[in-house]
Amino acid sequence: MNYSYTPQSGAVKFTMILSGAVFALMMVLGLLMRAAQGEWLDIEPELFYQILTAHGAGMVGTAGLSGAAVMWYFLGRHIPLTKAVFWIFLSLFIAGVVFILGSIFVGGFAGGWTFLFPLPAMSGGLWEVGAAVSFMLGYTLIGVGFLIYYIEVGRQIIKRFGGLANALGWQLILGRKTDDIPPPAIVAAAAVVIFNSIAIVLGAAVLVVSIVNLLAPEFEVDALLAKNLIYFFGHVFINASIYMAVVAVYEIIPEYTGRPWKTTRIFAIAWNVVLIFVMAIYWHHLLQDTVLPAWMLITGQLVSYFSGIPLLAVTAFSLCVYIRGSNMKWDLTSALLVISIAGWSVGSIPASIDGMIAVNKVMHNTQWVPGHFHTYLLLGEVAMSFGFMAWLVRGKNIRTLSGLDKAAFITYVFGAVGFILVFLISGAASVPRRWAVHLPEWILQDRVGTIFAALVVLGTLGFVVRYVLGLIFENQASGDQISGDQNSGDMSSGGQPSLGQKA
Amino acid sequence: MQPLILTISLVVMAVVALLFWRSVRAASKPPQQENVGKRRTQLIWGLVVFGVFISIASLREWPHAIASGEDAIVVNVTGGQWWWEIDTEEVPLGKPVNFFVTTEDVNHGMGIYNSDMQLLVQVQAMPGYTNKVTYTFDEPGLYQVLCMEYCGVSHHDMTNEFNVVAVDQ
Repeated sequence: MNYSYTPQSGAVKFTMILSGAVFALMMVLGLLMRAAQGEWLDIEPELFYQILTAHGAGMVGTAGLSGAAVMWYFLGRHIPLTKAVFWIFLSLFIAGVVFILGSIFVGGFAGGWTFLFPLPAMSGGLWEVGAAVSFMLGYTLIGVGFLIYYIEVGRQIIKRFGGLANALGWQLILGRKTDDIPPPAIVAAAAVVIFNSIAIVLGAAVLVVSIVNLLAPEFEVDALLAKNLIYFFGHVFINASIYMAVVAVYEIIPEYTGRPWKTTRIFAIAWNVVLIFVMAIYWHHLLQDTVLPAWMLITGQLVSYFSGIPLLAVTAFSLCVYIRGSNMKWDLTSALLVISIAGWSVGSIPASIDGMIAVNKVMHNTQWVPGHFHTYLLLGEVAMSFGFMAWLVRGKNIRTLSGLDKAAFITYVFGAVGFILVFLISGAASVPRRWAVHLPEWILQDRVGTIFAALVVLGTLGFVVRYVLGLIFENQASGDQISGDQNSGDMSSGGQPSLGQKA
Repeated sequence: MQPLILTISLVVMAVVALLFWRSVRAASKPPQQENVGKRRTQLIWGLVVFGVFISIASLREWPHAIASGEDAIVVNVTGGQWWWEIDTEEVPLGKPVNFFVTTEDVNHGMGIYNSDMQLLVQVQAMPGYTNKVTYTFDEPGLYQVLCMEYCGVSHHDMTNEFNVVAVDQ
């Protein structure tokens, strides 16, 4: 069943304003870091590492926030969701951000977004215990908000589909006849609810023991256990942001191709595989911790590679099939959503290669790492979010790319590709990541990267300003309805999708 | 090794990007009859078989194997905010060197760079644990140890060096 309304579009649209603005701000922080490494800006290491911490926490948090907004919006088509829950989630998120920003820019906390134990407690005099506690309390508040969000989504899915197994498409996988096939958005949501809830609970555990350690240093924490918990939480959380945002592709692309994105058996199998793999892959962050049992490191390598198969052979392959011969129209929404799957897929390649232990020995913690994760964030999750924002203000009609849209799109994609390539080349040249001060031989690459980063910021500003203006002038949007055209599908935008078009 | 990794990565990335580009170009062409399910199955099995092959090839010789022969030398490395202590200034050429790496405070990463600032090998330094890695140097000269794991405000200053020298048999 589809619901013919999205009663919470106002809350989601507001969330996307916040997301767009924070994405832009965090990208500016990234630009400042690249300019400082290239010696175009004089930033003291103390401030650089604060900016590094804010950039990491801000980008990961905002990816999670925007992904959650996208998924909430489209789930509203399939299950009733309690409006108050989203506002509680958003309020806790904003409260958490206040704690985090205060800890960094007032308290001087610069322990990195991964708060790797025991660094928060050993600042070398740079920050006080209170700043570290504030940072972790901020994370905890955000985590509580996400848990409340997932409880509501999980509760409503179970109520509607009779259990998470049904929502994960097990009926299809087991070959049982059913008339109640869950739509792709539900399958994705069921998987994300399970794995990200587990990640957040384990993340909360390591946050709590870290806070206790900060307040009572005699309470000792095993550094290896803490590292495992932190990377499990961090890796699953950032992956979940993409897996939530991809719902926009499932729900919007059919409007452009006229071909519904269906839950098939292979689709359901892929999501169940993802559910397992996403929780086993984090060991590829620990490939240089040789005290870990060999089977964990081998699992990290194997899952790094094999987790790419559901992405490439199901999501990417399906998108290409849906596009071919569809005569789809290209506007900012469709262009960004298609590039987001392409970027995600392309970004999985250097990630898988770095996931090989032998390669990781010479690539880990070089700029290769930001090279690959910026690929599937800038050209993946963030592009999905921007595509969703463009769709929210599109109006009822699909229009072709206007000159300004095209300029913003090309600027963003060209900038992102160049920015990522510089990171990868620098990684291959053994430039370490997270260094405030670079050697003279690395400066040229940093400067080229800075120029590309500036283009990404420009493109982003174009998307965000366009979105805000679109919201302001939403009611004035007009255009010709494409009718009788196989591309048109459901031409409704944000607030009024029609019945029966998606699933 | 790194140029090869970069080249392979860029080629495969370009191929994936090209496949998307071809699909986008084909959007405006008439739909073609093709057995999508069969092609997808072929793709999945192709990726699985390649994955099994590459996994066996890359893991058959355990990348973290520690040298145990009589020739093996042990070098103890300890990290701290923001210094490296290496228990020798000279390391023999052509003999496997087992680096035993730990830290007195936070996590660090020991990366060994040659004189061209190319990263040769690395391993994490973790409080309460000793990570081990083996490397055999085939060029004499000055080598640097850099910190590869963010460890605080002077992370980028955490360097040290040692010499690799030829020794008589």
